[in-house]
Amino acid sequence: TVTEKSTAIPLPGVNVVIKNSTTGTSTDFDGQYQLQAKKGDVLVFSYVGYLPIEIPFTGQSTINVEMAEDAALLDEIVVIGYGSTTKKDATGSVEAITSEDFTRGNIVTPENLLSGRISGVSINTSGAPGSGSQIRIRGGSSINASNDPLIIIDGLPITNDSNRGSRGILASINPNDIDSFSVLKDASATAIYGSRAANGVIIIVTKKGKSTFSATLDSQYSFGELTDRINVFSANDFRSLVASQPINGSNLDETLLGNANTNWQDEIFRNTVSSQHNLSLQGSLFKAIPTRFSFGITNQEGAITTSEFERRNLGLALNPSLFDDHLKINLNANLSFEDNRFADSGQIGAALRYDPTQPVYDPTSPFGGFYQHRNGNTLLNGTTNPVASLLQTNNQGDSNRAYGNLNLDYKFHFLPELKAVLNIGYDETETKEIQRTSALVATNDDVRGNVFDRFEKRTNELFDGYLNYSKEFNKVRSEFTAGYSYQKFTFKGNNTGNRLDPNSAPDTYADPNVVLIGFFGRANLTFADKYLLTLTYRRDGSSRFSEENRWGNFPAAALAWNISDEDFLKNSNVISNLKLRAGYGITGQQEVSQKDIFLNRYRGGNPNSQYQFGNTVIQSLIASEINPDLKWEETTTFEFGVDYGLFDNKLSGSLNVFQKNSKDLLFEASVADGANFSNNVIQNIGELRIQGLEFSLNADVVKQEDFNVNVNFNATFLDREITDLALGQDVRTGGIAGGTGNNIQMHRIGEAPNSFSVYKQLYDTAGNPIEGAYADLNGDNVINDDDRYIKENPGADVILGFQSNINYKNFDLSFNMRANLGNYVYNNVNSSRAQLGQLQDNAVLGNVPTSVLNTNFQRTSDVITSDLYLEDASFLKMDNITLGYTFNNISKKLKSIRLWGGVQNVFVITNYTGLDPEVTGTDPGIDNLIYPRPRTILAGANFKF
Amino acid sequence: CTDDLDITPNDDQTTLSNDLYANEGAYKQVLAGIYANLALTGTDGPESSNLDGIDAGTSQFGRVLLYTQTLAADQMIWSYENDPGTREIQRNIWTAQNPLLLGMFSRAHLSVALANDFLRETTDAKLDSRNVSTAVRNQIPAYRAEARLMRAMAYYYLMDLFGQANFTTENDALNTQPIAYGRTELFNFIESELLAIEADLVDAKQNEYGRADKAVAYMLLAKIYLNAEVYVNENRYNDCVTYCEKVISGGFTLATNYLHNFMADNNSNSAVNEIIFPIISDGLTTQNYGPTTVMVNGSVGSIEQNGAEVGVTEGGWGGALRVRKQFAQLFEGPFADDDRNTIISEGRSIDINDISDRDSGYIIQKYSNATTTGSFGIDLTFVDTDFPLFRLADVYLMYAEAHLRGGGGSASTALDYLNALRIRANNPAVLTAGEMTLDYILDERARELHWEAHRRQDLIRYGRFTGGNYNWAWKGNGSNGISLASHLNLYPIPTASLASNPNLTQNPGY
Repeated sequence: TVTEKSTAIPLPGVNVVIKNSTTGTSTDFDGQYQLQAKKGDVLVFSYVGYLPIEIPFTGQSTINVEMAEDAALLDEIVVIGYGSTTKKDATGSVEAITSEDFTRGNIVTPENLLSGRISGVSINTSGAPGSGSQIRIRGGSSINASNDPLIIIDGLPITNDSNRGSRGILASINPNDIDSFSVLKDASATAIYGSRAANGVIIIVTKKGKSTFSATLDSQYSFGELTDRINVFSANDFRSLVASQPINGSNLDETLLGNANTNWQDEIFRNTVSSQHNLSLQGSLFKAIPTRFSFGITNQEGAITTSEFERRNLGLALNPSLFDDHLKINLNANLSFEDNRFADSGQIGAALRYDPTQPVYDPTSPFGGFYQHRNGNTLLNGTTNPVASLLQTNNQGDSNRAYGNLNLDYKFHFLPELKAVLNIGYDETETKEIQRTSALVATNDDVRGNVFDRFEKRTNELFDGYLNYSKEFNKVRSEFTAGYSYQKFTFKGNNTGNRLDPNSAPDTYADPNVVLIGFFGRANLTFADKYLLTLTYRRDGSSRFSEENRWGNFPAAALAWNISDEDFLKNSNVISNLKLRAGYGITGQQEVSQKDIFLNRYRGGNPNSQYQFGNTVIQSLIASEINPDLKWEETTTFEFGVDYGLFDNKLSGSLNVFQKNSKDLLFEASVADGANFSNNVIQNIGELRIQGLEFSLNADVVKQEDFNVNVNFNATFLDREITDLALGQDVRTGGIAGGTGNNIQMHRIGEAPNSFSVYKQLYDTAGNPIEGAYADLNGDNVINDDDRYIKENPGADVILGFQSNINYKNFDLSFNMRANLGNYVYNNVNSSRAQLGQLQDNAVLGNVPTSVLNTNFQRTSDVITSDLYLEDASFLKMDNITLGYTFNNISKKLKSIRLWGGVQNVFVITNYTGLDPEVTGTDPGIDNLIYPRPRTILAGANFKF
Repeated sequence: CTDDLDITPNDDQTTLSNDLYANEGAYKQVLAGIYANLALTGTDGPESSNLDGIDAGTSQFGRVLLYTQTLAADQMIWSYENDPGTREIQRNIWTAQNPLLLGMFSRAHLSVALANDFLRETTDAKLDSRNVSTAVRNQIPAYRAEARLMRAMAYYYLMDLFGQANFTTENDALNTQPIAYGRTELFNFIESELLAIEADLVDAKQNEYGRADKAVAYMLLAKIYLNAEVYVNENRYNDCVTYCEKVISGGFTLATNYLHNFMADNNSNSAVNEIIFPIISDGLTTQNYGPTTVMVNGSVGSIEQNGAEVGVTEGGWGGALRVRKQFAQLFEGPFADDDRNTIISEGRSIDINDISDRDSGYIIQKYSNATTTGSFGIDLTFVDTDFPLFRLADVYLMYAEAHLRGGGGSASTALDYLNALRIRANNPAVLTAGEMTLDYILDERARELHWEAHRRQDLIRYGRFTGGNYNWAWKGNGSNGISLASHLNLYPIPTASLASNPNLTQNPGY
């Protein structure tokens, strides 16, 4: 019997021939075959898309063969924009990754399947359950506009905006339904998506229906535990510190100390249990329609108590073909139900701060039996009990999403070279957020408790159509594509206000529609199978710009040369594949948060923002900032690449060198005061240059029937530099905690975006930092803002990924490691908290990080902008390791069972002193109490029927 | 179809200007928007802002005015120096990067932009084309005069603080780089505008509360004339006296109780007769982090926890605001029992050796969210207390000072005015003609008008802000005060503003 290796499904139609003869046969529907052979013959098994296998005949009565898909095969189909190509024919920088290669482990959201796999792609996910990720391809080509890549699911581009009450736009997608990703990196590949392609494109292809029946059931459980805490003083150490440490020359009031010993971080963090179950059925419906149905359920507990994520997914794919395969229909319909309970991660800060000598509970407390700093029934100024804050608040978000598309692909009967493709997509998310806070919550306010509901609805409608014509003339293969795309996004919502507060008003809100319309075309020409040329062009209109500036043109061209097909290399034993690529293209950016800034608008004040004339409240109308001249940001990319394969492609990979120049950056910059209705308006100002080098290597170190070792290594070197800014001015950014509106970063010409702007710390002769003493860098004898200097930036200079899959007999082992080098983090936890003066927390006592002993600093305001808190956050992480064992052919129905176990977040090696060198948040490189990532032990089983 | 690319706002708070003026009520609402720019920072609550580069709440007009005029001088200390810009302002070590200066410069210019917009939208041609009814058209001249008044007031503060401004009127297009005006040009423009609109403005005390009248224009004229030697090196004290008289003859009287001016109901208690122009604050409908909210919450003591007395949370903002030694000393001796002395000193040292030590230094209890009838404002953070930007007591003091500086008027009237303030404050000691000196007036202005955003201007007029003839605690970043360089009499043009309009030039010394 010949079976498919990964699924154990019999393979019909496999050619079985005796080597160097014409004798042969092919397998039947059950994968079985019969052949006469004599000892010494070699049987060759071959099947399109699978690695051929040769087995010497030594007189066996049966020879069972497992054939493996040839992942490295050059005629592998790669999905690109509005069509597909083969790896060999690709001219741009496109990397495809299919389900066999996905990153394994505790994967809850789809982007993590790619984590660490692809050079130039970085994915940074928060520790919150089901949370979204920051995805960056080649570092991001914008500064103020979006740096998110365009994500396309089965031809439907999705928005990066999500509703409140949802964990993010990718959180509702079941990773188990995904068949492959294509990551388009350079402009020649992405320009077909024109206006939205500047940060790269990730195309997600979901699993399709098949004609033969199969079923899989996947179950996994995971157990998470936080392995690290931010060190603060224990209750006993805190007592002695309070007793011995004068603040501002006077002793702290020891009578404020309590008698308890509470580790507040232990009180708010918990060990978590999570599970995922996925069932999928594939087969032919009514014996005519290849169908896939899937059901998934995911439960994830967050490390902060009460935090929870639950998702149920239903997926249906119908993939019938009609009229002799002339009409292919692909229908995808998905429903997702996401139920969240959010925990305020700000309570991590309260747990660091709360007096460890006080108990969690206090039966005499009027605030629901929780201890609070109080005087009778009056709350004292200072931090409130974080356990109470978490348990007395119930903030839920229920998000229901329906998305899918209908794709009709018709090959004309009278002209089979011509096909027409129509794609209609729809994506709608409705979210209800329910916030309830107990009336016993600690507050001095007249209004106690909160009853607040919010409803939001977001839609995304797509209509695409294109024609594709391909024809071969002698030595020239040609393919032409031309089409039209229309997409519209809407968003609206309302909330009730706090219904317990008579002064709180409900609010209704809506965004302007975003409409994107594009016309596109592409020509692929291949000469003698060796010389390839691709030309693309897209003309895009965006509703974000005025009529005069609305349309942008995005051309691209790429050349490739398959050198290994030239005669002088054709028979090389070393070089099995060598392709040179060169690409050039322009892509656009229009994704700015203001969707109607080109219009002349007035905005009326909300119920708290009115004015009074006499005794009458009047709704004031204030003109809104306006920029009628806003237009596309454009990124020009040059790229040179080499795809290589050595020793029968046992070693393969690519090397890319690129430069991206973004101009007319959509940038929030100052405008002449009095000449607009703000001092800062988004404009097309500034230029950014990104230079990079990407290298990938895939090696089949051992490739035998029973033993395979595959390693994959990728490296990305990135350098981003601002080359021009509005009128040459610096732009402050990077808001930090500790004071109102402090900034720690700056955009400056000649520097990387978000470079740190800090004071230079002075040290005494013993090497200890002197509190509040900074270098007078400009030598004017005054230490002020003019003495800040630029030091480092949050971007990594080098990003490395390494993974390996090892198969031995029925065992499989895989692991995944990542490293970032040269990325800096400003430790805002220490800078805003690790000062002894903070032992006094308003009217009460408060804890501080033990790192204060390294500096003995007293006053936050004197030290918060010191370069002392800027740290090298280079790291090496093992994200996961999994080990599995597969039992095959268990019964006629049950084909296989794979049992596996693994560890997520195995280790981190770093010199960074904070909790985690990979920080999350709106401003890059600022560590202000991230949601911690637990170490998770996983166990799972996969059943195939 | 590409027509779908033509979008319109979908939010119910946003309206296209073409649609807006179809409703005739909009004219008054847009006028209210010009006034609101002094009270609000944005349209979506106290944390929203239509400016950038400064914390939203901090960008409130009265707040940045208080920082630049009061915090920079000898009356006030802000404890939380990690709030950006506060340290540099109160220690007189500011740079052009200071976000509070950017907030002041940009907020005042936004008033100019909003006024210009209103003037563009209310030309006869526009009103004709929209067939505006006679009833509304009759209101328009007063509305336009008020818009010009608000614009002149913005230029007045820019002239005083920065000595320069982007000069733009309704005749200039948006998004162009305006020419820059220096002090002389600004002075002449402000004067001519205020004189030109006089006839169209509503008579003193005859307009709705919250809207400006003739008295506000007179007040501004009196102010620029009083400081004309500083601004344009001219002696205009005669004009100052004239316009002080015009204000006073508008029917204003002192509030029966000094503290009424600073209470939650100062829009309805006896202070309505004294306050010439307020910046509105309301705990429900006009929420802002403006000067009154900051001063009521901020002056709650770290030790005293006296928030409940003034109608905010018990701990307030934990002792954010205190007073400096030199100010506290003005209430020693015969002024100890004066009503204007709200100092709380028990358990506190008069000196502030360490600014972050909130238990040192005296605190005051001048502003309050309590009403004269014993109740409190509606909210425990956002006070109902309006900020008295201009009030009659200031006019009395200006009259006396201009008189002493040779501006004419009557010496006995001046003395009466000064004594009226002392009598109102229940200070039994009567001022004699011999005691009526310029030095007395400067001190009396501090006692009467402290924390009302006048002090820096007063000290400069008296030549005591820069230089070393008067040093106060933390002046020039020395705990006992050191001399300041004379270029600090003007603030620098904020870096971002300078960069976005090359027509501006940085002030000397920066």
